[in-house]
Order: sequence, then structure tokens, then C-alpha cells
Amino acid sequence: MVAEQSQSSTAAAAPSQSQSSHDLEQYLAKLTQGTPLSESEVQHLCNKARETLTLEANVQPVSAPVTVCGDIHGQWHDLMELYRIGGSAPDTNYLFMGDYVDRGYYSVETVSLLVCLKVRYPQRVHILRGNHESRQITQVYGFYDECVRKYGSANVWKMFTDLFDYFPLTAVVENQIFCLHGGLSPSVDALDHIRQLDRVQEVPHEGPMCDLLWSDPDDRSGWGISPRGAGFTFGRDVSEQFNQRNGLTLVARAHQLVMEGYNWSHEKNVVTIFSAPNYCYRCGNQAAIMEVDDNDKSKPTFLQFDPAPRRGEPHVNRRTPDYFL
Amino acid sequence: MTPAAKRLSVVAAALGPKRTREELLPFLSDGVDDDDEVLGAIATSLRDLVPHVGGRNHLSSLLHPLELLLAVEENVVRERAAESAIAVGEQMYDEDYRAEFVGMISRLATKEWFTARISACGLIHVAFPRMSSSSSSSGGDGGMRMAHLAHFANLCRDDAPMVRRIASRNLGPLLHTVVVTIGPSCLDEGGAVSAILLDLYESLAGGDQPDSVRLHTTQNCVHLGQAITLMKERVLSSSSLSSSSSSLSGGLGDGVLGEEGENTLVRINAIVKRILPLIVATIDDRSWRVRWTAASKFASVVHAFSKLDGSMDALVPAYEKLLQDPEAEVRTAATFNFSEVAKTGAMVCPAGWAGGGGFDVGPADPSSRRIPVALRLVKRVVQLTEDDSENVRAALAMVATDLAPVLGRDATITHLLPPMLLLLRDSNSEVRLNIISSLSLLNEVIGAELLTQSLLPAILDLADDGKWRIRLAVIERIPLLAKQLGKEFFTDRLLSLCVGWLGDDISSIREAAAADLKELTALLGSEWAVQNLLPRVKQMMEHQSYLRRMNAVRALSLMATAMDAHTAQWEILPILLEMHCDPVPNVRFNVAKGLGMIGPLFQSSYEGQILPILTLMMDDPDRDVRYFATQASDSLRAFFGTSNKS
Repeated sequence: MVAEQSQSSTAAAAPSQSQSSHDLEQYLAKLTQGTPLSESEVQHLCNKARETLTLEANVQPVSAPVTVCGDIHGQWHDLMELYRIGGSAPDTNYLFMGDYVDRGYYSVETVSLLVCLKVRYPQRVHILRGNHESRQITQVYGFYDECVRKYGSANVWKMFTDLFDYFPLTAVVENQIFCLHGGLSPSVDALDHIRQLDRVQEVPHEGPMCDLLWSDPDDRSGWGISPRGAGFTFGRDVSEQFNQRNGLTLVARAHQLVMEGYNWSHEKNVVTIFSAPNYCYRCGNQAAIMEVDDNDKSKPTFLQFDPAPRRGEPHVNRRTPDYFL
Repeated sequence: MTPAAKRLSVVAAALGPKRTREELLPFLSDGVDDDDEVLGAIATSLRDLVPHVGGRNHLSSLLHPLELLLAVEENVVRERAAESAIAVGEQMYDEDYRAEFVGMISRLATKEWFTARISACGLIHVAFPRMSSSSSSSGGDGGMRMAHLAHFANLCRDDAPMVRRIASRNLGPLLHTVVVTIGPSCLDEGGAVSAILLDLYESLAGGDQPDSVRLHTTQNCVHLGQAITLMKERVLSSSSLSSSSSSLSGGLGDGVLGEEGENTLVRINAIVKRILPLIVATIDDRSWRVRWTAASKFASVVHAFSKLDGSMDALVPAYEKLLQDPEAEVRTAATFNFSEVAKTGAMVCPAGWAGGGGFDVGPADPSSRRIPVALRLVKRVVQLTEDDSENVRAALAMVATDLAPVLGRDATITHLLPPMLLLLRDSNSEVRLNIISSLSLLNEVIGAELLTQSLLPAILDLADDGKWRIRLAVIERIPLLAKQLGKEFFTDRLLSLCVGWLGDDISSIREAAAADLKELTALLGSEWAVQNLLPRVKQMMEHQSYLRRMNAVRALSLMATAMDAHTAQWEILPILLEMHCDPVPNVRFNVAKGLGMIGPLFQSSYEGQILPILTLMMDDPDRDVRYFATQASDSLRAFFGTSNKS
């Protein structure tokens, strides 16, 4: 009762600001139920999001406490599970390190929800760009097809992929933890190099912007050729040097499936976080998120979790063989 | 093409009845298209033409195109055509129906191409009640009805297994219709059931049939059981009416039932004796699909036969066998039916008597030794808790507590409680979750005292289960436990657990724990809460994790709503207000949210304490704190503004 009253009264008090937050609250209410927005709502949302994201830096400063998450890949139900584990936004602060779309069946719902949270609570939620937030990749791995299937045209896909160009590339938590989707780049020694990039474009095939979204840590030292065909592999020496030079304690990145949901490498200079449990609905991996506390930033807490039980189904396998009919 | 086919009624309305009959319908019959989608659309929309052909006596004109569609290859088209044909048939005059509709069935049943015969299988039982019967000359050839039963019998013996499969699926419904339409006389020697349909039951259940045909035996037997139970009840009630003067409690005593009724009962017993072996055979079938079907429908089987003498002594051992089937899928399906089977009121011989193989109804055992089915089956629960398949155990955990009300208190304690304890400690988390989610039923039957003795240790084990959903299930049952255990015992044994959950790693657990504190405050009183809960919540407010501090703020506000206003004002409000200077904005805006929620309780502190803090927070450097503080202050202003006026 009281909550309802308060909402209506604020709307009356400050029409301009709360009108738009009222719209966003409505979108959020839909999206947390798993209902996709209409095409015009997506248009509206993307326009607002562009305004918000333009203001962010290539190396977006983020303050602790914050919960850092890896790939989601359209697994909307598991994103809901992630909120059950880590707490819901805006109560919990989140930093997502890219790859919201493709592979899973609910890319539209997932990316709409995350963008909507970003616009509604820009201080509480941060979203970075992953290598799948790109026109080219999404045409191959599912987001394009999903948009066409759910909206009847590629308009929504175009709106989102145009918006992806504005997503920040990296973030740094309290000047200590460097967060990005892929990894380091041979053309980037210092955070300032990243700050100078013009990020508002499609992810290029090579160069620093490409590397940041594509590279992987490796056991071999130095730089190596990536089997992915984009970005590089980098060794412990590279990570150590980079952290030291930039006064960082840790590189937190996503991009690679790790069975435990998180994985330390390079003598705790790098951690990989992957937040899509049972990736592609078949990998059997756990997911994880990393809670960075306000008091002890050097000792993050990892929370692991399993896929959400599917709604409406009993916990027991009641499968009827499909050839019964 | 498809959109046009969907709107035939528009075309028909434009053409008028005469041209619809003479042009549109022949055009549609002319093989307009061979696209299945179009044909399906036509099949569906033909029924919409009922008002457009010029009255009920012209309806048969619609049957011609439908008859063609009933013979096409695509399943979906035929099914839609059948639905439309039935809908059209319902509107036809009896005479037309018999001539045209039934005539169509006869033609379909004897068509060369098998798809037409498949359609016939599903239509015979629909049309049966309206077929003419020579009811006046009892025992005659039955005319149209007998002819169609003969058609159906032929379909059951069709060369094409696809036809036999569909015939098999329709056998049960047909039998039911026949029995209900004709009444007890069809059970007579030479009547439709004994002479024709039972033979079909036996031949379609035979081992030489493909399993897709045998698959329907179980459901067909359910139909049969229901139909003859109906007849039995009809005979018994009519006899008790006619001879109400000499009604004896002896049941089947001579003279009470009249000769005819007596004969019917004898026939019913004979039919049951013929059918039971068919059901029992399905549980030994070589195809696991047949056994799975039997397992998943066994509760319906048992309920259909529960009033027929001697059935349980055959069916219950059969069910027990399904519970031990080599396939885990079959055991799981059977286990899901466990409590439904057990709920039948029928009596059965105690275990150990089973296996003789005979289905003799004779009263060899003294009836005093018969026991309720539930009491016999409960002994199987222990065995199922040791099943290798976790799916079987999870299914058991889901349904087993439903047995408690059926068994009653004593039998539950002796037989059900020990296996339940095993399930609570099962190695599989789904099993544990299922059992703990269904425990409240058990509580109601055995009472709180026993619960504390036997189940509590197991529940305490689950309280720090590695799976958070299990912890959540325990937390959700805490208020219930508190109610049953009483204040002292609860404080002693469970309190530290409840407050411990406030610091859990998983957000949902912390939130559920906070919600529990509210329930506990309401249940055990403000004073108890201040003494026992508040100190621990205060500790949490100093936790170094903002997530825990925030949850403590939430818990405080929730507790306040369940307290008397005075205590809340002195004990809760000051602590909550203090938290407004937490370094983390998320904690601060949750203070604002909390104040918005509980503010209405504190009229006297509103202006002096709450409003100044909210005003301060409305100038916070963080925009979200400002937003939530503004919201809270607006809602409180609105609340006190209106309440002052009134």
C-alpha cells in the first residue's frame, strides 16, 4: 500500500525525471518476468542507453563494493538465478564483463534487462562489451535469428548492435582490479592507451580494441597466436608486468568456459569468471560470480552456482519418450 | 490459399445457401489443393458452414467434402476433418444422421486405402448411441449397431498395424459407449460385450501384436472397469429400490436382487476374471513402453476396479511388481502413482499371499485377515528408499507423505516414519528437497512431539546443506516448527540457526532468514524478539560486507512491522536511523526504503526523528539514495497528511 502511494506521489512531484524512470520501472517489471519489450520500447530504451553509455569512459572507473560477473549468453533463467545468489539490482552492485547474447535462447530478454538496469541505475550496474556484442558475431551465433524470430524483422537486432558500439571496453575497480572481457593486447601497455581509443565502432578484426575483447591468458610466457583467429594469448610475465606498471592487483576477465565457474591463473594475476551455468544447456559447468568487498578488496569472494531449475517442471525427471505419440 | 480456406463462411455467406451447396462444396470436393496446410484449414472451417447451407436438412451436403478429407494421408488433416464431421453431425436430424453420417462411417471402414479406415476407428463410438437399434425385439440382430461393431471388429483385425493401433486406442471408449447405451443387457451371453468386444480386448492385447497396439491395453481396461462398475451400481441400486421392503444387510442374499440382477452380477464377475489377466500381463510385457504406460496409469486402473470383487488381489501384487521393474523409468512412473494407488478404499490380502497366479475370487481367505491396500503397500516404501535410481527415490519423496493421512497416526509412526528419515538423509539433493517440501502433511498426522524427537535431528542436518535450495526449504518451514515446538525449545535448539542464516553467502537465504525474523517476532512476541533476535541483528549491522549489513537493515524493518509500536519505536527505530551514515550507498538507500515502510507506525517520531534523516539523505551525493529518500519522504508525507485530516 505504502509503496504504491509513494510511487504515484513521486511521479506527480517531479514529472520529467520520474516519467522516464517510471517507463523504465515498467520495462524492468516486464523483463524480470521474462517478457520481451515491444519494438518501440526497445527503440526508446536504446536511445536512453546511448545517452548514458556515451558518458562512460573506455576504462570506466567503478567503486567497490561490486559483484563482478562473466558471460551470460542469453541464459535468462540463469541470470535470474544469478540474482538469487548475488542479490537483485539495485541492492547489489554489479559489473558484467560482456557476452550477453548468442548461444542461449533468451538473448533478447537478457540484453534488454541488463541495458534497462544500466539506464535505470547507472551507478549500480556496469556493463562492458564482449566479443559477441558485435554485428558480425551475432549473425552467426544466434542473436540475429532470435531477433527476427521474436520481432519478425531485424530492426531490434540493428538497434542493439548499434548500441553495442557505445559499451565501455574495460573497467577498473577502485584502481586495483582491471576488468574486461578478453584479455591484454600487445599494443596496450598502459590503461591510458585504452583511454585514447575511439571505441564507438564495430569490433575490428585486429588491433588493441579487438585484442581486449578476444585475448586469452596462456601457460606459455610472452605473446602467442590465438587459436581463435583474433586477439592473442598472453603469459604470466605479460600479466605481471601489466599489473605492476598500472598499479593493479588483478586482471578479472571472462570469455572462456571454466568448469568451476572461476579459475585463477598467472599466480593470481588473472582470474577468469564465467557466469553461464551448464553453458549452451549441455556443458555441465558451474557458474560463478566474484564479490569485491568495500573493506578488503584484495580478497574477493567467489560464489558458485548451478543452473536454475526449470520453471513449472517438477524436480524429478518425468520425461515421456517422445515417440509415444 | 490458406487464409482463404480459413474463411469459407464469408464466401458461403456471399454465395447464399443454394450456390454454396451446388458450387462451393463441389468445388471443395474437387481436390482443390494438395497442400496439407490448406486441406487442414478447409477441414476446420467446413464446420463454420453449418448456418450457410440452407437449414439442418441440408447438412449432409457438408459431409461429402469431409469424407474425402477423412481419407487423406496427413494425420492432422484427418483429425480436423473428424472434429468438423462430428460437429456437423451433432446438428443433423436423426434420420439424416443414420443415413448419411453412419453411411459415411461404413464406407470409410471398408475403403481400400488404410487412412480412411483409421478415420472410421475414431468415429464409430461417437455415432454408436444415435444408430438405430432394434431395441423392441430384444436379442435380435441389433441392426445398424451390430453391423458397426462388426466393422470395428474387422478394423481391429486389419492387416495394417497402423489401423489396429488406432482401433486399439478407440476400443475402450467404444466399450464404454456400448455399455452405457445398451445397459446391462449387453453383458449377457451373446451380448455385444461378451460376444464381440471382450474378444477384441484379448486379441489386441495379445503378444503377437506390435507394442504400439498393446500400449492401449491399460487405458482400455480402465474404460472397461469404469463401465462395468457403473452397471454393477445400477443393478444394486435398482434392486434395493424394487425390494426395499425386504432389504437385508446381507448384500447378495437370494431374493433381494431378482434373477436378472443376479445374472448380471455373475456376468460382471466373469468379465472381471477375463480382463484381469490382460492387465496383469502388461506388467510383464516384454516392451518397457507397455510397462511404462501401465505404471503411469496404474492409479486409474486401481480406482476403476476397486469396487469389483477380487480385483485388488490381482492388481496390488501386479503393482508391487511394477515397483520392482528392471527399468528405472518404469519404477519412477509407478512410484509417482504410489499414494493414489494406496488411497483406494479397497481391502486386500496381506503380502505373502500373492503370487499364486490364480485370480480366484473365492473366499478362501477369511475376510477378517484382509487389510487396507495402503497398509500392505507401505511396506514397499522401505525398499524404494534403497532404489538405485535417484529419480525413483525423488518420486517417492514427492508422494510418500500423502500416505500419512490414509494410514493414520500409528501406522505412520511404525511404517512410514523410518523410511522418511532415510530419505531426509538421502545422498541426492532433489530427494532431500522433495521430502522436506512435503513434510508438513506428516506433521499434521503424527503431531509435534514425535516430530521433535525423530525428524528434528535430520532437519538440523539439512539446515547447513550444501545446496542452498534445501536450506531455503528448511528456512521456509521454520515458523511452522517454532509454532509446534514452543518458545523455550525453539530458543534453545533453533534460534542460533535462524540468526546464522542472516550471514549466509547466498542472497536468497539471507532474505528468507530476514523474513523469518518477522514471522518469529509475530509468533513469539516483541519482548522475546528484542531479547533474542535483536542482539544478533545488531552484530550483522557491523559486518564488513555491505550485503549483510543491508540485509540486517531489511530484517530490522520487517521485525518492526510485527512488533507493538512502543517497542519498535524504542528498540528498532534508533538503530535503523543510525545506519543512514553507512559508507555504502546501497545500505543507505535501504534505510530510506525501510523508513518508508515502517514510518507510518511512528506518528510521534515522524517529524522529530524520521523526517530530518530523510531530508539529510535527499542531499546525499549518490543519486539512488536521493531517489529512495525522496520516495520514502513523499509517501510518509502523503500518509500523515491524510491521516491528520481524517
